[in-house]
Amino acid sequence: MASSGCAGHRDNPNRVVIWHQMRPDERGVLQRQIARYEQRHPGITIEELFKETEVLRSGFVVAALAGQGPDFVYGPSDPVGVYEATKSIRPLEDLLAASYLSDFDTTSLLWYKGHLYQVADKIGNHLALVYNKKYVQIPPQTDFELIELSRRIQDMHGYTAGRPNVYGLTWNYIEPFFFIPFYTGFGGWVFAEDGVTPSLDNRAMIDALNFIRELRDKEKIIPFEADYEIADALFKDGKAAMLINGDWSWAGYRQRGIDLGIAPLPRITATGLWCAPMTSPKGYSVNVNVPEEKIALVLDVLKFLLSAESQMETVRALNTAPTRKALYRDPEILSNQIVQNSLLQISRGKPMPVVPEMRAVWDAMRPGYQAVMGGSKTPEAAAREMQALAVRKIKEMNE
Amino acid sequence: MVPSFVLLAAVVFYPFAYNVVLAFANMNLNKIQDWQIIGLRQFVKIFAEPTQPDFYAVFGKTVVWTLANVFFHVVIGVFLALLLNQAIRGRSMYRALLILPWAIPQYIVALTWRGMFNYEYGSINLIITKYLGLPAVEWLRSPLEAFLACILTNVWLGFPFMMVVALGVLQSIPQELYEAADIDGASWWHKLRTITLPLIRPVMIPAVTLGTIWTFNNVNIVWLVSNGGEPSDNTHILVSFVYKAAFNFYSFSYAAALSLVIFFLLLVLSMVFVRQSRATEAAY
Repeated sequence: MASSGCAGHRDNPNRVVIWHQMRPDERGVLQRQIARYEQRHPGITIEELFKETEVLRSGFVVAALAGQGPDFVYGPSDPVGVYEATKSIRPLEDLLAASYLSDFDTTSLLWYKGHLYQVADKIGNHLALVYNKKYVQIPPQTDFELIELSRRIQDMHGYTAGRPNVYGLTWNYIEPFFFIPFYTGFGGWVFAEDGVTPSLDNRAMIDALNFIRELRDKEKIIPFEADYEIADALFKDGKAAMLINGDWSWAGYRQRGIDLGIAPLPRITATGLWCAPMTSPKGYSVNVNVPEEKIALVLDVLKFLLSAESQMETVRALNTAPTRKALYRDPEILSNQIVQNSLLQISRGKPMPVVPEMRAVWDAMRPGYQAVMGGSKTPEAAAREMQALAVRKIKEMNE
Repeated sequence: MVPSFVLLAAVVFYPFAYNVVLAFANMNLNKIQDWQIIGLRQFVKIFAEPTQPDFYAVFGKTVVWTLANVFFHVVIGVFLALLLNQAIRGRSMYRALLILPWAIPQYIVALTWRGMFNYEYGSINLIITKYLGLPAVEWLRSPLEAFLACILTNVWLGFPFMMVVALGVLQSIPQELYEAADIDGASWWHKLRTITLPLIRPVMIPAVTLGTIWTFNNVNIVWLVSNGGEPSDNTHILVSFVYKAAFNFYSFSYAAALSLVIFFLLLVLSMVFVRQSRATEAAY
């Protein structure tokens, strides 16, 4: 158990365990930071353990309920509602001074039900338009420009057996998270005003689903089928000129030698609205089971990982948006075009809800979205079913 | 004796009893610490209320999944064992190659096959369109084809076990029986029907029982090939449905009730097989 990262706080007071869902590039930065901390603090060991997003969330809840688990859980803010409901994490407002917290951008401090549950080292975790400058000189500003540019690129590079040698655009069609920018672009949002009632059966949903379907079936500028891996591989292999993907992926494309550009997602002409991705802070929460005698060490590690030095290292390696306000004025960050465009995209994004009901909405959207893309349902029927399913799942969750 | 009982109590009896208690309770995300016993509500929900996906549809798929997989595991496994039991050149190499699917971790197999089932870039469709001249199949987007993709992957993964078991028992059949049959002028088919199959049966029945239970409860392949039941939760078998209920929706009591249902289904199935197996043993 101990070697797997569980119960780290119990068997060794000098060992800190972090569970995270960082991709390899991000994880590499964390490992370098940990090595530096350990070098400066002989006798202290920090262990980091990768878990896939879903496994991280459910595994952490189960471990924390059993009085076990890591000292820190790191990830986007959306599972915080679940962690709070299961009493898996501890409030941080009494552990971190207000003067310390004032150094951070307010969006990076996750307050939920009156308590501070997460402090982020990155903000965003958002989608944007990623493009290969070999194919795209000026990124599109509107949906029309996006279609026009994609067609031009495809025509320029020819077709084999009716399939473009280079697709204009691609993204992961499986996960509704990637659908959100289109939904917001057509004026929709996942919840009604109260923040917990699903809002999926509306004109915006139907229009957004129709729009995506037409991109594939009428305009033929996106592949017939793509999940995350396929979309990622197409872009990496130069077989897609543009990609919708998140800030966690950008460093990998640069390392692959792609001349990378990042731009905000385009505006939908029919509504005049920008496609707005969900944004969220990505940071550390503290396990409720961390004993009091270990809190000082845990906070010291936390402050090191959130320091300006660590964040600057992360920005240099990953081009993600930092959370310390002072860094926004740093000349190096001001001159980094990828970070600046990313910040512009964040400013046009919408914060991801952290309420547990969001879980039900994702699961209700997935079947309908996939059914429309699979051609087995009309957008109208899918929207109706998404709404009904979300309502039912929330009712079941609360039963 | 005492240590083994303590161990059994810790890893079998306690979790099982806890699961039974949970099945009659209302533990979910919002009642994770203050849950209560509420009786048969979760079972009513399973058997009498519409769920997404529907319990009976998932149960039907589980039966099809199990029968199809075990059937092909046995048929392919025994067929290959019969071939490998002949004096053919490079027998050890073929044997090693055919055991390979069994040696690769399941999740790697599942994710590799998922890539192979991609509509445009997967090797399966490339073979179908390029070499067979047939239209490409939407393997992962249509419910039936996605379920078929899961079955194909698991058939590939599962036949080596049956092959190894069958090969082991084939090698223990005395050659004299075949020689006597040859003297009597028995055909290959006749020898297979009257010597080989009856003699491998006592060993294959427990193997089929095990294979059935493993296949019935194999969450990995369905979950990874179909990416958690896609499209539209249409490829679930009971055990992947339980996993989703417990760890995606935190409906712990509902999942516990469902796993109790699965337990009793498998218990009945195993008892039937065990009885059959004993009857077979008695015949020898």
